[in-house]
Amino acid sequence: MNGPDTYSVFGAALSRRGFLAAGGALIVTTAIGRPVLSMAANGDAAANSLDAAVPASWIEIHADNTVLIRTGKCDFGQSSIYTAYRQIVAEELCVPIEAMTTVISGDTDRTPDGGGTFGLLRTNVLNLRKVAAYTREAALALAAQEFGVPRADVTVRDGVISGGGKSIRYGELVAGQRLDLVIPTSGEAIGFGGLVVTGNPPLKPTAEYTIVGQPLRNPSIPGKVSGETHWVGDIKLPGMLHARPVHPATLGSTLVSAGKVDGKLYPGARVVVIGHFVAVVSADEWEAVQAADQVAAATQWTEWKGLPGHEGLFAHLADKVDWSEVPARKGKANAGAPADVLAKATRVHKATYNVPFLKHAPIGPAVSLADARADGSVTVHTHSQNPQYLRMSLAKMLGTGIEKVVVRTYPGPGHFGRSNGGNAGSECEAVLLSRKLGVPVRVQWMRHDDMQWSTQSHAAIAEIRIALDERGRIAAYDATHRSPPMQDDRLIGAVLAGLPAIDAPKAGTTDFIHTAELSIADNWVYGNVPNVGEQGLGTYQVGQRESPIAVGLRDHSMRTPIQFQQNFPREVAISEAAALAGADPIQFRLDHVDNERFTVILNRLRVESGWEVRPSPSPAHGATGDKPVRGQGVSIMLRDNGYWACACQVLVTPSTGEVRVERLTIVVDPGIVVNPLQLKRQVQAGCTMGISEALHEEVGFDAGAITSTDWLGYPILTMAELPEIKVVLAPRPESGVYGQGSESANALAAPAIAAAFFDATGKPARRFPFRPEYVKKMLEG
Amino acid sequence: MIPLTVNGRKHVVHARGDTPLLYVLRNELDVMTPKFGCGLAQCGACSVLLDGEEVRACITPIAAIGHREVTTVDGLPARWARQNGHGNGHAHGDAHGDAQAGPAHPLHPVQEAWIEEQVPQCGICQFGMMIKVTELLEHNPSPTDAQIKEALTTSGPSPHLCRCGSYAAILDGAHRAARLMAARRAAAIAAAGATSTDTGSGTSGSAA
Repeated sequence: MNGPDTYSVFGAALSRRGFLAAGGALIVTTAIGRPVLSMAANGDAAANSLDAAVPASWIEIHADNTVLIRTGKCDFGQSSIYTAYRQIVAEELCVPIEAMTTVISGDTDRTPDGGGTFGLLRTNVLNLRKVAAYTREAALALAAQEFGVPRADVTVRDGVISGGGKSIRYGELVAGQRLDLVIPTSGEAIGFGGLVVTGNPPLKPTAEYTIVGQPLRNPSIPGKVSGETHWVGDIKLPGMLHARPVHPATLGSTLVSAGKVDGKLYPGARVVVIGHFVAVVSADEWEAVQAADQVAAATQWTEWKGLPGHEGLFAHLADKVDWSEVPARKGKANAGAPADVLAKATRVHKATYNVPFLKHAPIGPAVSLADARADGSVTVHTHSQNPQYLRMSLAKMLGTGIEKVVVRTYPGPGHFGRSNGGNAGSECEAVLLSRKLGVPVRVQWMRHDDMQWSTQSHAAIAEIRIALDERGRIAAYDATHRSPPMQDDRLIGAVLAGLPAIDAPKAGTTDFIHTAELSIADNWVYGNVPNVGEQGLGTYQVGQRESPIAVGLRDHSMRTPIQFQQNFPREVAISEAAALAGADPIQFRLDHVDNERFTVILNRLRVESGWEVRPSPSPAHGATGDKPVRGQGVSIMLRDNGYWACACQVLVTPSTGEVRVERLTIVVDPGIVVNPLQLKRQVQAGCTMGISEALHEEVGFDAGAITSTDWLGYPILTMAELPEIKVVLAPRPESGVYGQGSESANALAAPAIAAAFFDATGKPARRFPFRPEYVKKMLEG
Repeated sequence: MIPLTVNGRKHVVHARGDTPLLYVLRNELDVMTPKFGCGLAQCGACSVLLDGEEVRACITPIAAIGHREVTTVDGLPARWARQNGHGNGHAHGDAHGDAQAGPAHPLHPVQEAWIEEQVPQCGICQFGMMIKVTELLEHNPSPTDAQIKEALTTSGPSPHLCRCGSYAAILDGAHRAARLMAARRAAAIAAAGATSTDTGSGTSGSAA
């Protein structure tokens, strides 16, 4: 090749760093830092050791035609970064899927981009898609030089670049060389959203896709099933100690005196106190568990009663909170004059709806291993959905630079958004203990730690008014949503130890995630309604400002955050308004949506679910006794370019209050289906979690502490309760966008089940869970 | 010093007799597939087989195990091989290599079915799920949906819980495992009729 050593490819800089005797690679990096280039020449990416301060590459093309991609996102089992990401990058590079051999994820010293693991197919994959497009264009430019033909005469297909009667594989193109492609980005890796790839390289038209759409298997499953995978809790270091925290007695208690270890019973254990953070450590894990119980019983905390209790929560939110402290936000779809129309209307549905606090409730409690060294550096082995933000938060807590902190990630128990702002819970405690003791420390939270000291999905109340016109159509829709904030990413260990942390959610911040202001997140879908008024009212976290240790009920986004809390009231209210209009609930929705994609999936849902076309409640409603009554309900949602419709058939036993879901049918139009096999499993699982939330879940708490301490206090769905679940994929590839999977699916069950309960009984269900004690009240009401 | 037989290997462990089996497996024997979930026998993430009966390792003191053999997911391939007359059924490698060295035998049909059906989401509960389904299929080679649900809900000290919501996939996996086991046994019988040598023909019915 005779070209210049550096030239521009759609704004990216391609350069030749040198020639190698063996190997060779094209390495795509970000302008703000460079990896150690030799790492790729031997093809052994896993063995490289980068400077923790320098971002790694995005994509590497090796001389053997294999491709490695890196992403700061972490997979928690839904597989998108191992399946969809590989498929999308393979499409953009025009290489076979088999070439996509390696995905490196999460580790802060081995991935370039940072950012939270959310919106994977909505926004995040666009980074790698653009990187791949830059890479393909660079390769084509190199090949054109090689062939001695104009760039326009060069094409690529199945990994083979052709032009002027010649052809060359990617691997041959890079063999024996070290090529760098530096791409433009904005943002910073440790920012909440991470780096964003900028510029506009030409993207492959989605109509030409052949790999996207294939049912690729998840390559991370075999190792998990055989036992070869190393999970976060499996990591061990020489000389490490096991720790168990002794957390405060309430969410507002301060330490009076820490208990002492009974040295006769537990000779290897010792207590560590850092501020209000108390822990017990031992080289023997079982000794640490037992000694922590013994120390907890002997530790004195101040009393605190600053919470309303879960039974008083909704009255507290309705009557005690000053909602004028935080500026209101308006819905984007607001139109017309809903208040005027409602004032004159003769038929109005008006009701208040409640969503309880929910737990992310991973099956395994948080566990982390930290290794703080004498030079002030620290490596944390954990399972985070935003490792770079965790790195930033830990550096802040330690008062050190981010270059001192490395976060390594491993497969761990799914926790559904809880760590997308960095921490799942125990990381900071492991770091503090390791720094204090000078040895690696593994902190395994027990079940009660995870239930009581993790964050929760925020509760919400909504007042909804719907005015019908003389034809029974919606003339006006008005909703006021009220919630504590979505997300608190303070490190709990830093808070307890009195060390620096980011701010708790508050009003008047430019931090769009950690704000106390409440957005309208449930995309408005009923475009035929002429008058719409939605507003969001926010407040501070329940009990946080009253807590002497500034804790209280900390919140964190969980699957479909904010939209979950707003879609439930909206969809239940729409079903009740349909009943007021005497209309079938599916037909009522068809009459009010203005998007043809909803029309298609609602019609499909009617057929696939075996829907009985009629108004609610059912003719059999009002029955009493032991014989179950059957009902049907529907819900719809627009999220992340995905159009969703769900129908549930339920059985309600009036005498016992038992609610059983018989069948759930869900139709999704996500635009392009990247991987039908994985999407189907994601949707099945998401629906199942949604049923669990609807039937069982609510965080119990008293005046000071969370009382849902284990699986008896926070029951989730069991296998015996699994209904028949029918997933219908209704792709619209011509839309040119990828919609998301499992996250959205979980939100649809609760409103559909509530509507089905109303259909079966004639009694409105304006809250969940459908536990017998609540159902009996609904049936009396 | 308490003797323990785990996945076909005999050990003498140092832990005190009141130590739950889970901690001994993970910390002393490096057998890592049983996971800590609750420590209260409420979730099933730590399930192991004791001579074919599913128990919760998080609350089972090692002193209570006696001569019964412990089988974890790591030991399922060897268990299947032994049940079908292939080799001694002992995993290769030393005690500290069992989990890392990869299976010395082809995967158990339950594990294979879990891959075929793409069962796990996060996967933390699936070790216990696979143990429980193995126990079920050893007693009932062709269970109904209701029997699978019963096994994973009411037959043990607690339901086996999955937070990701993989229950529908687990049902598919259990049925596929039942079919695979039947096919393997039929193939093994046919192979035994054709030749008297042990050629590991138990994989001949593989759907992989």
